[in-house]
Amino acid sequence: MSADASRLPSAAPGKVELRGVTKAFVDEKRGRRTVALENVSLSIPDGQFVCLLGPSGCGKTTVLNMVAGFERASEGEILVESRPVDKPGRDYGMVFQQPHLFPWLTVLENITFGPRLTGTPEREYLPQANRYVERMGLRGFEQHYPYELSGGMQQRVALARAWIKEPSLFLMDEPFAALDAQTRLMMQELLLRVWESSRSTVLFVTHDIDEAIFLSDRIVVLAARPGRVSEDLLVELQRPRDYASVIFEHRYVELKKHILDVIRRETMRGMAGETETALETRP
Amino acid sequence: MKRAHNLALVSVLAVAASFVAWFLAAQLKLVDPLFLPGPIEVFETAVELARDGYRQVSLWMHIAVSVGRALLAFFVATLVGVPLGLLMGRLPVVGAVLDPFVQFLRPLPKLALIPLVVVWFGIGEFSKFFLIFLATLLTVVVSAAAAVQSVPVGRIRAAQSLGASERQLFRHVILPSAVPEIFTGIRVAIGIGWTTLIAAEMIASSSGLGWMVMNASSYLRTDVVMLGIVLLGTIGYFLDVALVKAQRRIVHWSGHG
Repeated sequence: MSADASRLPSAAPGKVELRGVTKAFVDEKRGRRTVALENVSLSIPDGQFVCLLGPSGCGKTTVLNMVAGFERASEGEILVESRPVDKPGRDYGMVFQQPHLFPWLTVLENITFGPRLTGTPEREYLPQANRYVERMGLRGFEQHYPYELSGGMQQRVALARAWIKEPSLFLMDEPFAALDAQTRLMMQELLLRVWESSRSTVLFVTHDIDEAIFLSDRIVVLAARPGRVSEDLLVELQRPRDYASVIFEHRYVELKKHILDVIRRETMRGMAGETETALETRP
Repeated sequence: MKRAHNLALVSVLAVAASFVAWFLAAQLKLVDPLFLPGPIEVFETAVELARDGYRQVSLWMHIAVSVGRALLAFFVATLVGVPLGLLMGRLPVVGAVLDPFVQFLRPLPKLALIPLVVVWFGIGEFSKFFLIFLATLLTVVVSAAAAVQSVPVGRIRAAQSLGASERQLFRHVILPSAVPEIFTGIRVAIGIGWTTLIAAEMIASSSGLGWMVMNASSYLRTDVVMLGIVLLGTIGYFLDVALVKAQRRIVHWSGHG
């Protein structure tokens, strides 16, 4: 496999830098220390769309939460634009697996929540909001409440709400995982269309291989127990992309096969590890 | 829609059937009228009391006094209880200080406090107010504190990622998120307050529905007792209906996930 992203020469420090990051949780009841992530280093250049791909329990969401400032690393450091992350911040937009809209606000009020917090005058944020209403296909639903919308639509509102700040960094935690397959495809294409026009840096967590290949410039495959980087791959597919043509490209098939192999290998090792531990602890 | 309609009809029929049973039991003298005065008798008593009053106080006055006492105590309790509960839920130290007292007092039957309350505050209006106030306050405090703590983490994080400061987080996310649960707490509280009313009016009183029922029982005026019970239940029911209406209007989004 060519195109190992980690070996690329990088002159400037990345937009997001993880340096020897370890995250451990202490289970006080059992007095056990669980290592969720071990010695993860990652440098993400400005404007790159990166997918963190891995099975559940590999700590991919933990990476995102630490970059967002919701959790702290046990060891190592995390830098965004060369500044250590110390608290949840204003410099990024985030979308979660659930839309987490504010149910007492209308669609438009949800989208403009951020600018209204910072006291941006209405004449500035309203045209902006209208642009995202249009882009996300929410025209005519501005005055609806979230509970009146479908799951896919709610997630589009969440995207618009995060995007209206036009942040240079996006953190996305399996934003389409809870949607049905049809809606998911539409959302992925929509995301790419909007992203093409902004080219912000994206850190996108998923366990869906097709999603990762279709969306990203680079895929970081994580392995579980403890969570660590197992592969770092460049996607190298032409943009703009659409599913209809991408899935027939040789590179697509090659990448998918490779990632499947990596994951199968890791899973086997994980299972073997579990059996070993089970044998060891047998009285 | 149709189904809900049918169920409402079933409820109406059930109530009507119980009235018919009550009417027949009285009319056919199946039960001694002293134990169970019939609906017609109770209705006549209602007309008589509405005209002449009970013990020099008009029936309307009794109703007004009771509703007034309950609502005043209830409003003050909400006014004090909601901010106190929010504070307890938000600041762990405040929670740790107040929680033991709240948890001790809440399940305590408020009737047991009557002797103390009388010794402390005498037998005036304040004693009655205090009992209802205490009963409602504790429920409101607990529900407000729980409401603050049950705000979904994801919603808080979403707001933080949009740049909300601690203050903005409380004002624009935690507070509105807590409102539906606080409303439910207030509904429970008004029920408890209304229940405590009888106990409160047992403390030497000369008016109010609770007092009327207690007083009538010592003269074996079961018709007045019956009327008092019907009124207490009906008013309690409509207080709750009013709150549910307000809840649906104000927190229209809740219950939709």
